[in-house]
Amino acid sequence: MISIRHLHKRFTVSDGVVAAIKSLDLEIAEGELFVIVGASGSGKTTLLRCIAGLEVPDGGEVRIDGRIVSSDTPPTWIPPQQRKLGMVFQSYAVWPHLTVSQNIALPLAEGLQRIAKNEVANRVKEVLRLVQLEEQADRPATLLSGGQQQRVALARAIAVSSRLLLMDEPLSNLDARLREDVRGRIRELAKQLGSTVLYVTHDQVEAMAIADKIALMQAGELLQVGTPAQIYHQPNSSDVADFFGSVNWLDGEIVAAGVADSPIGRLQVESSAKSGDKVRLGFRPENLRAVDGATQTNGFDGKLVSTTFLGDQFTYCAEANGRQLLGKNRSLPEQRDGIIRFAIDAADIMVFPRRET
Amino acid sequence: MTSSRLRSILAGTQTSSALLSLAALPMAVIFVLVIAMFWVSVQKGALGTPSAIYTLANYYEVFADPFIVGVAVNTLIFTITATMVALLFGLPVAWLVERTTLPGKTLLYAIMTLGLLIPGIYTAMGWTLIAHPRIGFLNRWLVDLFNLDQGPINIATPIGMGFVQGLSLAALAFILTSQMFRAMNPSLEEAARVHGMGFAKIIRRITLPLAWPGILAAVIYIFTIGIATFDIPAILGLGNRVYLLSTFIYLKVHPQGAGLPEYGITGVVGALMIVVAGLLTLWYSQVLRQGHRFEVVTGKGYKPTLIPLGHWSLAAWAFILLYALFSKLLPLLLIAYAATTPYFVPPSMEAFKHLSLTHFYSMDWELVLRGLKNTAILVAVVPLAVLLLAFALSWLIVRSRSRLRYLLEFAAFLPQALPEVILAIGALLLALFVIGTSIPLYGSVWIIAIVYTVARLAFATRALNGSLLQIHRELEEAAFVSGLSTARTAWRILFPLIRPTLFSVWIWTALLVYRELTAAVFLAVHDNITLPAVIWSYWFSGSINKASAVTLLMTLVLAPLIFVAWWFGRRSQVSVN
Ligand SMILES: Nc1ncnc2c1ncn2[C@@H]1O[C@H](COP(=O)(O)OP(=O)(O)OP(=O)(O)O)[C@@H](O)[C@H]1O
Ligand SMILES: [Mg+2]
Repeated sequence: MISIRHLHKRFTVSDGVVAAIKSLDLEIAEGELFVIVGASGSGKTTLLRCIAGLEVPDGGEVRIDGRIVSSDTPPTWIPPQQRKLGMVFQSYAVWPHLTVSQNIALPLAEGLQRIAKNEVANRVKEVLRLVQLEEQADRPATLLSGGQQQRVALARAIAVSSRLLLMDEPLSNLDARLREDVRGRIRELAKQLGSTVLYVTHDQVEAMAIADKIALMQAGELLQVGTPAQIYHQPNSSDVADFFGSVNWLDGEIVAAGVADSPIGRLQVESSAKSGDKVRLGFRPENLRAVDGATQTNGFDGKLVSTTFLGDQFTYCAEANGRQLLGKNRSLPEQRDGIIRFAIDAADIMVFPRRET
Repeated sequence: MTSSRLRSILAGTQTSSALLSLAALPMAVIFVLVIAMFWVSVQKGALGTPSAIYTLANYYEVFADPFIVGVAVNTLIFTITATMVALLFGLPVAWLVERTTLPGKTLLYAIMTLGLLIPGIYTAMGWTLIAHPRIGFLNRWLVDLFNLDQGPINIATPIGMGFVQGLSLAALAFILTSQMFRAMNPSLEEAARVHGMGFAKIIRRITLPLAWPGILAAVIYIFTIGIATFDIPAILGLGNRVYLLSTFIYLKVHPQGAGLPEYGITGVVGALMIVVAGLLTLWYSQVLRQGHRFEVVTGKGYKPTLIPLGHWSLAAWAFILLYALFSKLLPLLLIAYAATTPYFVPPSMEAFKHLSLTHFYSMDWELVLRGLKNTAILVAVVPLAVLLLAFALSWLIVRSRSRLRYLLEFAAFLPQALPEVILAIGALLLALFVIGTSIPLYGSVWIIAIVYTVARLAFATRALNGSLLQIHRELEEAAFVSGLSTARTAWRILFPLIRPTLFSVWIWTALLVYRELTAAVFLAVHDNITLPAVIWSYWFSGSINKASAVTLLMTLVLAPLIFVAWWFGRRSQVSVN
């Protein structure tokens, strides 16, 4: 549905040039709910704007549905009006001089499609129900709360029922309950209509929850693209691993094929790194297991330092050989004489080459 | 990479290319006007023809002529006086409004801002009737009272004219300096008060130093306007042979008696005025930029503590009413009186018995109606043209990302640097010697329309810039993405949002065009005379009463329009400078 090749975008600012997007490649399949996550300023909005045609790229090619909408060779440019997409803006961009229903009706009645009047009214009613704003239909848009305005923006984008929806943090201003509810509806609706959705957020939990595929963006580049499970369990760099939850990092060295030395002892790992390679070993808190037997592979002793009760589970901090490690479990690990026996599965240990700094 | 650069520029301007050509239009006009001025200034002989001789002789002539040097000195004295008087009234009133508990601020605002709309020529005509050495009633009273040979007060001197000009510019001084007081952070004054400094000391040590960049900027701005102003010196001085640079070049273009126009000399003086005005404007923007250093950013809705005036309110209002009396009321009353007396004598009970409408019957109605028709055309056309061009400029300046916008921003500021006299003469020289007869611009109302449009552009662009800046660009982008065409987006989203500003700019421009004299006097021939130019021609030919009668008619039309302007201006909060 979307195919991007070597996309570049720079901004000239007072003190130099900001490269907001650096040679970015991206493929999004038809009907996919594709989520882009990334820290603030990583270029997510800029990418969306390049796709929508609100920003003129400095290089590269963007295709929507097989059609080239912007390209440098040969020079091609399709204006946003003709790209036939729906977009939710980060700032909502709700038109302040119109009422809620007028906001939704305007693109339907005066956009490319020019839908008939009674049909417009039906469509408006339908999407207002979807975002739970039926009662506010005739209110001036500026009299709504931030979250309500955000839902108006969402409704406006959905109403045109285009095959491609771009959403820039569409739920950032809703409370937790409503957010879960609306995000479920977005997913449901997208699947029902078969629309492709490109969804931007900086909340990794939200990303995991709705995505078919996730891309992590950092400083204008995509670090990794994959299904939520791939991204979580097989991150291709420590940056990606860090972004999706906390990680216990240890500096180590490969001593033989599949064996690494670390501050907490010798560990079996699943890695093709060669003997003598300096590596960074990491595992997630929930993979730190408390065990009984002394002869477990990758077993080591530790002490409990502190614990936090989170309702459905505990997080705790343990110390092993002078290193603090984070753990997460449904129950607190059992201690014997103040000592806990821990173990980590070899498959749960991430191994990355260590860059000397 | 070069090809992609090119493409991005092309793509970026695709939607705005129409706007760009609109925006370039007035810039081209200004450019051509300025070039025409310099071009004529270096010619002798048959100007604009192949037989013209290119020489600097005109420049030598100007600098060697002691008369012209005297005129320049007059201009300097006039401008300094005007600037001082304008600040004398404008600055304290601005301080009173922004920093004290003075009651009746709405009324005060109305008096001061609408003061901008009362034409300077009214004030000048009124003051001629008050303080002219021969006919001014004040002089006649004093002569009678003290048995003098001649009137002791002479308004037709550089200082006298400067005084009247200053009264007229005080409204501008008020607006400029009240903005400065508003931007100034009062907590600095409060800190001084907490540390035990007295009122006078705070004013001297804190307020004035902080306000200085703002005051200096206002001084330069007013000085720039004063140095090239035409209408007031013309009304007061021309008949008495007291010349400033602006009225001097008028005489060179419209020589009295048997003389021939001296366009070369005009070109030189005009070129020099362009240079001076340009330098002053440069200085102005420099000072303005430095002034921003002192603006401490404060939170929204921040209200400074106001200084309680108590009984001093009475003194303050007396001062304000004195100003209103001097600058508006007295001149207008005198004009009304002159319009209804058979011949001008100092007001007295005896004179009031003879009031009549005779001048309204005897005035040349064909001329007046011709003037009215042309003025009506200008009021109908110019504000719309200004809005269209200013919108194009403003949209590009605020919305486009191309580096061109800095150039446009500078260009939109140009008309402010170029006084109307210069624009008018440039247009005249252009029409006479460059375009010639190929386009019959000379003597038509359209040449006046062009000059007016260019002259009003800076104000309109600034007002629209402010308004567009407040509208998030994504509101338009949301419409684009929704499939609304550019024109439809402008119509459905942008215009409704900036409608108050559009209307305000329109009505202000219309009013300023309605009263504008300078360019019309330079460019009016016969068919294209405007209403103010009719007043001027009566006045200049000595028919003071008929001039006053036409003025009275104009004012009667103006008054309700001023009220409308005030009403809408109040609602849309457009700053008027
Ligand atoms: N119009 C612009 N002019 C100059 N720089 C810009 C412009 N728009 C974006 N940038 C810069 O480009 C970079 C990427 O910005 P972008 O808005 O795409 O980030 P983002 O990932 O959407 O951030 P956030 O999560 O805060 O919305 C930032 O460094 C930003 O400062
Ligand atoms: Mg963003």
